[in-house]
Amino acid sequence: MNIKARQSAISWSFIAIAVVMICVFYFYPMIQALMMSFQSGTGTNLSFTGFDNYVRLLSDSTFKTALTNTFIYLIVQVPIMIVLAMFISVLLNDKNLKLKGFFRTAIFLPAVTSLVAYSVIFKYLFGPDGLINLMLLKLHVISAPIQWITDPFWAKVTIIIAITWRWTGYNMIFYLSALQNIDNSIYEAARIDGASAFRQFTSITVPLLKPIILFTSITSTIGTLQLFDEVMNITKGGPGNATMTLSQYIYNLSFKYTPDFGYAATVSYAIVILIVIFSILQFKLAGDKNG
Amino acid sequence: MAKAKRVFTYVFLSAAAIVSIFPFLWMIVSATNRSIDVTQGKLLPGPYLFENLTKAFDTIDIVPALLNSAKISITTTLLAMLISSLAGYGFEIFRSRAKDVVFSILLLSMMIPFAALMVPLYRMFGGISQTMPFIGIDTMSSVILPTVVTAFLIFFFRQSTKMFPKDMLEAGRIDGLSELGVFFRIYVPTMKTTYAAAAIITFMSSWNNYLWPLVVLQSPEKRTIPLLISNLGSSYSPDYGVIMTVILIATLPTALVFFLMQKHFVAGMTGSVK
Amino acid sequence: MKKMIAALLAGMLMLTACGANDNAGTGTGNAGGNAGNGGAASKITVWAWDPNFNIKTMNLAKEAYAAENQNVQIDIIENAQNDIVQKLNTGLSSGTTKGLPNIVLIEDYRAQSFLQAYPDMFHPLTGSFKTEDFADYKLGPTSFNGEQYGLPFDSGVTGVYVRTDYLEQAGYSVEDMQDITWDQYIEIGKAVKEKTGKDWLSLDPNDLGILRVMIQSAGAWYLKEDGKTADLAGNAALKEAFETYKKMMDANIVKIHSDWSQFVANYNSGAAASVPTGNWFTPSITAAADQAGKWAIVPLPKLTNNPNSVHASNLGGSSWYVLNVDGKEEAAKFLAATLGSNVDLYQKLVTEIGAIGTYKPAAEGEAYKAASEFFGGQEIVQDFARWTAEIPNVNYGMHTYAIEDILIVEMQNYLNGKAIDQVLADAQKQADSQIK
Repeated sequence: MNIKARQSAISWSFIAIAVVMICVFYFYPMIQALMMSFQSGTGTNLSFTGFDNYVRLLSDSTFKTALTNTFIYLIVQVPIMIVLAMFISVLLNDKNLKLKGFFRTAIFLPAVTSLVAYSVIFKYLFGPDGLINLMLLKLHVISAPIQWITDPFWAKVTIIIAITWRWTGYNMIFYLSALQNIDNSIYEAARIDGASAFRQFTSITVPLLKPIILFTSITSTIGTLQLFDEVMNITKGGPGNATMTLSQYIYNLSFKYTPDFGYAATVSYAIVILIVIFSILQFKLAGDKNG
Repeated sequence: MAKAKRVFTYVFLSAAAIVSIFPFLWMIVSATNRSIDVTQGKLLPGPYLFENLTKAFDTIDIVPALLNSAKISITTTLLAMLISSLAGYGFEIFRSRAKDVVFSILLLSMMIPFAALMVPLYRMFGGISQTMPFIGIDTMSSVILPTVVTAFLIFFFRQSTKMFPKDMLEAGRIDGLSELGVFFRIYVPTMKTTYAAAAIITFMSSWNNYLWPLVVLQSPEKRTIPLLISNLGSSYSPDYGVIMTVILIATLPTALVFFLMQKHFVAGMTGSVK
Repeated sequence: MKKMIAALLAGMLMLTACGANDNAGTGTGNAGGNAGNGGAASKITVWAWDPNFNIKTMNLAKEAYAAENQNVQIDIIENAQNDIVQKLNTGLSSGTTKGLPNIVLIEDYRAQSFLQAYPDMFHPLTGSFKTEDFADYKLGPTSFNGEQYGLPFDSGVTGVYVRTDYLEQAGYSVEDMQDITWDQYIEIGKAVKEKTGKDWLSLDPNDLGILRVMIQSAGAWYLKEDGKTADLAGNAALKEAFETYKKMMDANIVKIHSDWSQFVANYNSGAAASVPTGNWFTPSITAAADQAGKWAIVPLPKLTNNPNSVHASNLGGSSWYVLNVDGKEEAAKFLAATLGSNVDLYQKLVTEIGAIGTYKPAAEGEAYKAASEFFGGQEIVQDFARWTAEIPNVNYGMHTYAIEDILIVEMQNYLNGKAIDQVLADAQKQADSQIK
């Protein structure tokens, strides 16, 4: 083998194992799911129905509600969380800050708290007689208890609060690790040049963090578009369908109702298409040459 | 001006910390109370922690579940670190049009909800069970294998590598190191914080993984902690004091792993970069 | 280079170590599905939920069986009900029988879905026990295509648990609540709220169990007789159930909860005064020991304007099924010998667990005649058993939960002012398009 071919072989060998494993454990099932999306029927009685399932999507009001909800979560929650996470990690990146370890651990703790635990806790906190209402009533911010979980509007708010509470610390970790990799001398030079903290943030930190910002933005988008755990455990999609997400609908179609795995697969692919579109948009916006 | 900023920083971070910790504290308080206290919303700690602990260890198999979760999570994390970082590094350092296309396709795998993959995956492992039962259904390997490599981690390592000074690698090559040598001797030690973050995330997601172990594990002695907790909450009359106690025990390892790893985020590690 | 090999080896070692451990375990793991040959030691696996109710029942059945049958090993595995549904669906649809249990508990509302979605995966129990010995209303859901598949288990027979002290404060007595209509129930509730400030009942807007109770008492269901077509638009019982629900909400006598533990807490804390629900709720009520002597159980109210409505209905309840995997004959034998015919076992179920079965001969036993101190000396088991016999038989069909989700949304619309006929018509349309 000549040098070029050898080098090429080595470079591909770095990624080989990973690629094979993803093909086996992701793409193979994904293709099977795609085939199922063209079938319909209960349980194992699946039969080929062509594009019927996809057509059904268009007139399915539950699907439309779930889609709308998922979008609302996406547009409201993801930007808030990313800005918050970035803000906190910049604050924490200060060499002279005391109690850094404590703050870091505290803010990350929600991500570590088991799902069962914090959904029970949120249900209590935000229940009609819960602490949040008690405090708000005491402070005279409201005059009657807010039905955080059983009112269609407030339930969505509760979910957004829950997700932000849980995942901000998680995203903070990524930013912290990236910030560590920025050489302090760059900031030193800027400060000597007279740049304010804000200027340093916008001209140095943000551009250097761009790869990580893109990363958290895309992964948060994917995470929110696939949102399932919080909705299943805190509001169960309720009241009615007010907080239902697409993933929960897929779960219901596969397990709660008489199983129609074919249609469930169709809804899944609707999500895939959405995610692909959003990701491409974000990549293009970031001007990243990954495509 | 600096003082105002300082005060604001502490106030803001403290508020964020309190909001973040409060539910966790409530969990600890509940673990010290009886079930009826918990359902009635008691906020103060009670004297029942020991009783809950004994009930938990007597009636439920916590220790085997903890061991199972530990074995699975540690193995997954180690393998994931190795395979994903090699790949992330490979995609970024040895960039090529072909590899970029492969990368984009790999990203697709993140975009499908797990619920859709579950049934085909289960079927696949069912097939594997016929010929290679030691990695088929109801084995630890069946839980580990699909979760080791994720496009998510590869993506993370790749993005982190973008900020890596490439000339350091050149220096290594000039010094006579092979590509793998460059990777292990120069890249890995420098990217400690990235590995720390990735390790925490992977360990945590593996530890808390619920749906897949639920479906692929059958024997009760192989159960992981999340499965155990789900069972506890499912009876017609659950004992909430005990449940909170078990959840507390289950959360400790991830909190511990985080605490151990987080000292790698110390400000100003400029030394090793030079 | 060395480091990588070391790391890779460590990884592989762990994987094989896990594998090796599992090999030792695979022996027993495999046997879950196979019960061995003929008379040699065989093994049966059972899946059920709830340690205090269903699992305990199986343990008692296992004890009863072990006396006569030494060489059968019975493994009882507990999982949450939703988890069982998930695992069962995944397993049954995958075409692999490895890992499936021999016996599984399935809720009656879901049974037809399983039986019809996975034909050939269930082993018929026809002939292994006497169906006429079991309450009528359990037989419909547990059979399919003329074959009996499920062994009926617990009775979800409903009654109304009521706080006698609050009742008295409002000027009513337990006698006033015997054989009443829902409208009368609401009137009493209003008085109780006025005189004591306590809400009359606690409801979860995401769970329309109370609707199911009302319509089954009139012999109706969400689906027509065929179990496949939605029966919403022209369903008189359903319409009245909706109207009754709205009357309750409008009368301001309902406390809202969104979680099972809140539901229980509302009664344990004395915030609500009555609960129309299944008899399996008894342990949750008796958990509040300080309320002993303050509760009674009265018959279910009937629908005011529906001539078919009786004072009996069902909420929940499940049955045992045998899967079509190796060991099915042993499993069927086990079930038939214990829960299919053992009267003593059923007495134990009452005394040790509080579980009321649907096995008619068992109602003659001693335990069924016992008086409950907590409920002021009332013979609650006798009452429940008597009401069980009156529960109308309905075909739960395939799509109960899917339809209920549609109704939950429409109920919100109805409470917000939409006309009832439009509500039901819209629900019917949606159900028809969704259910194929």
